[in-house]
Amino acid sequence: MAGLSFDNYQRNQYICAKGHAQPKATSTGTTIVGCKFNGGVVIAADTRATAGNIVADKNCEKLHRLAPRIWCAGAGTAADTEMVTQLIALNLELHGMWNDRQPRVITALTMLKQHLFKYQGHLGAYLICAGVDPTGAHLMSVQAHGSTDIGEYQSLGSGSLAAMAVLETKWKPNMTRDEAVLLCAEAIESGIWNDLGSGSNVDVCVMEVGKDAELLRNYLTPNVRAPKERSYKFPRGTTAILRESIREIVDVEETVIEFNKPEAMEVDA
Amino acid sequence: MSDPSSINGGCAVAMVGKDCIAIACDLRLGNQSLSLANNFEKVFPFGDKTFLGLTGLASDVLTLKEDFRLKHNLYKLREEREIEPETLANLVSSSLYERRFGPYFVGPIVAGLHSKTNKPFICGFDLIGCIDFAKDFIVSGTASDQLYGMCESLYEPDLEPEDLFETISQALLNAVDRDALSGWGAVVYIVTKDKVVKRVLRTRQD
Amino acid sequence: MTTIASEYGNENNSVPIEHRFNPYSDNGGTVLGIAGEDFAILAGDTRIVSGYNIDSRYEPKVFDVGDNIVMTANGFAADGAALIDRFKSAFKWYKFDNNNKKLTIQSAARYIQHLLYGKRFFPFYVSTLIAGLDEEGKGAVYSYDPVGSYEREQCRAGGAAASLIMPFLDNQVNFKNQFEPGSDGRVKKPLRYLSLEEVLALVRDAFTSATERHIQVGDGLEVLIVTKDGIKKVYYPLKRD
Repeated sequence: MAGLSFDNYQRNQYICAKGHAQPKATSTGTTIVGCKFNGGVVIAADTRATAGNIVADKNCEKLHRLAPRIWCAGAGTAADTEMVTQLIALNLELHGMWNDRQPRVITALTMLKQHLFKYQGHLGAYLICAGVDPTGAHLMSVQAHGSTDIGEYQSLGSGSLAAMAVLETKWKPNMTRDEAVLLCAEAIESGIWNDLGSGSNVDVCVMEVGKDAELLRNYLTPNVRAPKERSYKFPRGTTAILRESIREIVDVEETVIEFNKPEAMEVDA
Repeated sequence: MSDPSSINGGCAVAMVGKDCIAIACDLRLGNQSLSLANNFEKVFPFGDKTFLGLTGLASDVLTLKEDFRLKHNLYKLREEREIEPETLANLVSSSLYERRFGPYFVGPIVAGLHSKTNKPFICGFDLIGCIDFAKDFIVSGTASDQLYGMCESLYEPDLEPEDLFETISQALLNAVDRDALSGWGAVVYIVTKDKVVKRVLRTRQD
Repeated sequence: MTTIASEYGNENNSVPIEHRFNPYSDNGGTVLGIAGEDFAILAGDTRIVSGYNIDSRYEPKVFDVGDNIVMTANGFAADGAALIDRFKSAFKWYKFDNNNKKLTIQSAARYIQHLLYGKRFFPFYVSTLIAGLDEEGKGAVYSYDPVGSYEREQCRAGGAAASLIMPFLDNQVNFKNQFEPGSDGRVKKPLRYLSLEEVLALVRDAFTSATERHIQVGDGLEVLIVTKDGIKKVYYPLKRD
């Protein structure tokens, strides 16, 4: 029951041996960045999820919560980033309860890298992990094979070059919170415009030492669809119907009415 | 073309309307270009107002349909109530991810109304269970490109049930007519708080 | 023998890596042609891509090739440009050799078939469309496969997002699957010519929808409108993400 099941593995090898590739899983083409500032750290992501050349989700959430003050931006195979993040969040919660301490970013990072290394890169999760804990603010990244990086500013995903171009030209030490948020948002926007795998909106999460993390969902929405030229509502009856069946959903209420209920027998004390 | 998820063909689509949802699928079952059956429904009810659409490899569609029927029955026995669409979505997601390294070749979609609040809910998945929460429409199957094009241009929010029926039907019909592996009949479910209407559509038979 | 380090599904299939020059690439983009009663349009987005990169946000790919004919070849951009160059050059010689005789659209159409089939075993990797007016003054659109099989049609989408746009055109131009309300699905919605305004609205909605869902479509939409008075060019911006 526990763990992953490999029941279909041989069957799929057989099916795919005759054919070609495996069907594509949704990947978050993605631009994600993170940046430290005086007294905290901020991470940001775009919101496009792709399946091949098609946009599967125009406004997905790539910022995941590992702990109340530790957040994680994910690129790569969408299901892997989501599931690996949920698993580590769960274990981090238990870890925190067992030790009666707030979880640390380095703990989250270690759990992530050990898990990913165990799977030898087959879990396609590329994460920027950031947060605040009793030891201060931290910003780190993990690759699918389990290698990690620590830095003042980072970017990952197909739009990482576009984002890094912005970070490298505009980053400076000891930024304020607002400067860092603006820088991250601009780096993500660079990915949105210049990388085809990234698009739609900018999500931001700010973590400041001693404060609750603040998720700014859809911090920027520079890609709202313009209204259509006309409505494509059809006159009712346009579609040809062969048969129709209707199922009414009714609530059945039951009330018990009893007649001639005998009085309770009197018992002498 | 012998990609497992496009051997049998078929597609499904779901849309949100004003206090209602619609979910539809084609009826074709084929082996590559040879059509075998025109009664292969790909949308299954889970309780009164929740539906699951399954496209992809037909054997996996049937296997998962039965698997989820079992899990749904166990859920009902344990909880003594119907499953909510959100709950079903998470059940589907974790069941698919359990098979991360030996997946079922399916593209599920879930659509339904909340049993108490009647709030519409739709979502889609990839074959390893990544959930795509959408506010407007979800498509899946071999005609997914065509369905994306149709839905993106025809869809508008807050359609009444009867208007939603026309929109989802036209989206499906015209999409499957441009896909060699889909078609051969279609069914549409329109779900409102007190009624589920199932309509079988007249389609091209080529 | 080298094992290709990639998907787990192929990990047992050890095959030698084959190195070969690939003469083709995919530059994305989408084109669309619609014929009206006394006009025809050819529209195309102006984005050129390679991989996940945008090479250009404005590179026109629908051209006025002379004698009230417009032409586009979408797919591998270099082949598209080469095909149009060859047509333009042949067009000049046709005028020169034939005392400036007007090239009709059906002659142009047949000639393009020969240009494409001439490279039957090293094809131009493009979907080609031309539009103009026929000898009765009615709108005409011709569409081709990469090796020259062609057909005159009311409308046709080509390129990356063709599969998204084509069913929409079937539905909104040829009224496919639409019936007269109250006829119980027995009377088809009657066909009629669309006005230029209606066609332009359809084209814009088709392209904004394709832009939403296809990553290779966007930046700009350029439409060439052919009427008996000549060719008009209009440009509409599209989303740039």
